[in-house]
Amino acid sequence: MRWLPSLAAAALAALVPALAGAQTKIDFFFPVPVDGKLAKEMTRLVKVYNESQKDIAVTAVYTGSYDETKLKAQAAASAGKPPAVVLMSANFVLDLKLSGDLISLEPMLKADGTTREKFLADFWPALHANATVDGELYAVPYQNSTPLLYYNKDHFKEAGLDPEKPPQTWAELVADAKKLTKGSGDNVERYGFALPEGYDYMGWIMEALTMSNGGRYFNEEYGGEVYYDTPSMLGAAQFVEDLVFKHKVMQQGVVEGGAVSTNFLAGKISMMLLSTGSLSFIRDNMKANYGVAFVPRNVRNAVPIGGGSLVMFKGLNDEQKAAGWKFIKWLSSAETLAGWSRFTGYFAPRKSSYDLPDMKDFIAKNADAKVALDQLPYAKPWFATYQTVAVRKALEDEIQAVLNGKKKAAQAVKDAQRNADALMKPYVDQTALKLP
Amino acid sequence: MTSIATEAPPLAESRPSRHAMRVRCRRRTLPYLLLAPSLLLLAGFTYWPIVRVVWDSLHDRILGQAASRFVGLGNYASLFSDHAFLKAVINNLVYAIGTVPLSMVLALLFALALQRSTRVNAILRALLLFPSMVPLVAAASLFFFIFLPGVGLFDYYLAKIGLRGANWLGDPDIALWSLIGITVWKNAGYYMLFYLAGLQTLPGDVLEAATIDGASAWQRLRHVIVPLLAPTTAFVLVIALINVLTQVDHVIVLTKGGPSNSTKLVLYYIFEQAHENFAAGKAAAASVLSVAFLLAMSVVSLKTMERGTHAAS
Repeated sequence: MRWLPSLAAAALAALVPALAGAQTKIDFFFPVPVDGKLAKEMTRLVKVYNESQKDIAVTAVYTGSYDETKLKAQAAASAGKPPAVVLMSANFVLDLKLSGDLISLEPMLKADGTTREKFLADFWPALHANATVDGELYAVPYQNSTPLLYYNKDHFKEAGLDPEKPPQTWAELVADAKKLTKGSGDNVERYGFALPEGYDYMGWIMEALTMSNGGRYFNEEYGGEVYYDTPSMLGAAQFVEDLVFKHKVMQQGVVEGGAVSTNFLAGKISMMLLSTGSLSFIRDNMKANYGVAFVPRNVRNAVPIGGGSLVMFKGLNDEQKAAGWKFIKWLSSAETLAGWSRFTGYFAPRKSSYDLPDMKDFIAKNADAKVALDQLPYAKPWFATYQTVAVRKALEDEIQAVLNGKKKAAQAVKDAQRNADALMKPYVDQTALKLP
Repeated sequence: MTSIATEAPPLAESRPSRHAMRVRCRRRTLPYLLLAPSLLLLAGFTYWPIVRVVWDSLHDRILGQAASRFVGLGNYASLFSDHAFLKAVINNLVYAIGTVPLSMVLALLFALALQRSTRVNAILRALLLFPSMVPLVAAASLFFFIFLPGVGLFDYYLAKIGLRGANWLGDPDIALWSLIGITVWKNAGYYMLFYLAGLQTLPGDVLEAATIDGASAWQRLRHVIVPLLAPTTAFVLVIALINVLTQVDHVIVLTKGGPSNSTKLVLYYIFEQAHENFAAGKAAAASVLSVAFLLAMSVVSLKTMERGTHAAS
C-alpha cells in the first residue's frame, strides 16, 4: 500500500485545477488525410496554443481519415462527450447540419460584435458556400485544395511539344495526349492522360469537368438539386468516354487515385488531373521534370474546392462553446493558416495569409504553388447536398460504367439523375415540395 | 468453493437437515455466481447490442430530428426495394461460391500432401500458412500494388509469359474475382490447419483395412477419408461462411465497393448505409438479416457436424 499516498497526491493534483475552475478543457478532433508528419505538426500547433494562454486547455485527438473523424465525432457526441472543435471534410457540413449534429456559429459572431459577411470577407469567395447552411455560418474553412493538371515535361520534349506550354483547352489536351500516347491497341506503353476514378475522387473530378464546361454540378443554395442530366455534365461525361474509346489516350476501366499518381511517377502516363494536396508528394518523389497548370477548359476556367473546415458539435455547455470558438479563431488566424499551408501544401483559405512576408517568399520560391494560387480566383464551391455521399456515388457508378464501355454517356447522365433524385426525394418532399 | 469448505462443516454437525438444504441451495446458485462475470460481459457486449440492433431496425429517424419513430418492417421493405442491397446480396453469393469451395478443396489437398511430418513439409506448411498470418488490411495494401494496371507485379509477370494483363480492380467484370483470388490465397492455408488436425485423428486401422481390401488411393480418399473428415469439413464450412460475411477490409482498402457497385458486399453496404447515408435503421435491418443468416447456417452446419461425429464413432 505504499503507492497509496502518491496516488492520492496525483488525484489531488488532477482535481485542483478542475476545482479552481480556472481552465476550460476541450477536445479537438482532427484527421490527417495525407500523411503522418501532419499529425505531428498539428499536435505541435495545439501545444503552442495551450502554452500561449491559461484559460483553455485543448486536447488534440488524432482521429484518422475524414470519414473516421466524422464517425468518431458523432459517436462521442451521442455518448454525451461532444468534441468542441472538429476539423471536418467541408462537404459533410451540410449533411451533419441536416441531421442536427452541428451548432450554428452565428451566436459567437454576434457575441464578437461582427457579422457573417464581415467574418467571411477575408476568405476566398469559393469557400463561402461550404461554410454556410440556410444563411447561417456553420463552419470555418481551414485547409483547402483544387484539382490541378500535372504533366511530365520530359515526355513533352520527347513528343515534340513545348514543355512550357501545357494544354489550356480540352481540344489542346486531346491533341497533346494523342502525341504523348505511345503504342496502340493491346500494346499501349504509355497513356497521354489519366484521371483518378475511384469513389470520392471521381465525383470531384467530374465536378471539375462539368464546371470547366460551364456547369454547376449542384445547387449551391439548396441541398435537394444536382445537375447531372444537363448539357454541361453530358459534355463532360462524353469527353471522358471519348478520351478512352475515341481518342484512345486514357486507360479503359477505373483507375484509382493512388494508381494514377504511381503511374505518373513511373512515367507510364504523361498528364493527369490530381489535387493540389498531392503537390508536395509529387515534388518529393518525381524523378523526371514535371510542371503543373490550370485544369483545361472547354467553356470557361473553373474548378471545385475541396478540403476541411472547423465545426462545433452540439451538446457543449456555454463555457466549452466559448472556449471552442476562441480556439477556432486562433487556428484560423492569417498567421496560423499561412504556416499550416506552407507545411502541408494546402492553400490558405484567408486571402490575407498571402500578404504575409513568409508566404510571399514561399510563393516566389515554389512555382507550382503559385499556379495553384493563381487558379483560386476561378474556384467554385464543393458539391454538398442532402445525402452527399450517396448522391455523389449515383453519378460515380454511372461514369465508371462509361469508363468500362458498359454504358454510353447520354444514358449514364440520365440514370445518374434519376438515382440521385430518388435519393434526395425525402428531403425535397419536406422542403421545396412541401406546399401550403 | 472455499466458502463451502470453511463454513459448511460446523453447520453440518449441529443441524444436518438444514445443512442439506443450504448445500442444495448453494449448488443451485453457485453455478450462476461463477457464470456471472462472463454472463455480464456477454449481456453488455453481445446480447444488449443484438437487442439494440433489432430495436433500431424497427425504427427510423426523421430528418433533422433527434427522436426516432416506429416504422415496423418499413426498413426491411425499403431494403428489399433497394437495388444496391440486392446487388450486394448477389455479390456476396458469388463471393461465397467463389471463395468457400475453392479454398476448402485447396486446404484439403494441401493437408493431404503435407500430412506426414518431414522437415520439408514443415517448411511448406509454414509457407502456406503465411498468408493467413498477414492481417487482411496489410494483404490488401500489398495487392493494391500487385494489381496496379500496367505497372503492377501481376501484369509484369504476365507480360513475361506473353500474356496481357487486365484492369484487375477497375473492371466491374473482373474486380470481384480479384477479391475472390485474394481471399482464397489468404484463407486456404488457414483451413489447411484444421484439415491437418482432422487427418491426425483418423483411425489408422480403417485406412489399413481399406488398403488391404485393395481400395485405390482415390477410393480411399472418396469413401474413407472424406466421410471421416465430415466433422472437420462442417466446422471449416462454418468458419468460411462467417468469413464471407464478416470480412470487408480488402473491399475498403482496394475498391470501396466499386466500380459501379460490382464489389459491394453486404457488410460494406451496411457500413455505407450507417455512416455515409445516415440511414441507421436500414443498416440495422441489414445487420439483423445477415446475423440471422449466419446463425441459421451455423446451426445447420453444427447439426451436420454432430451427425458426422455419430457416423464416425
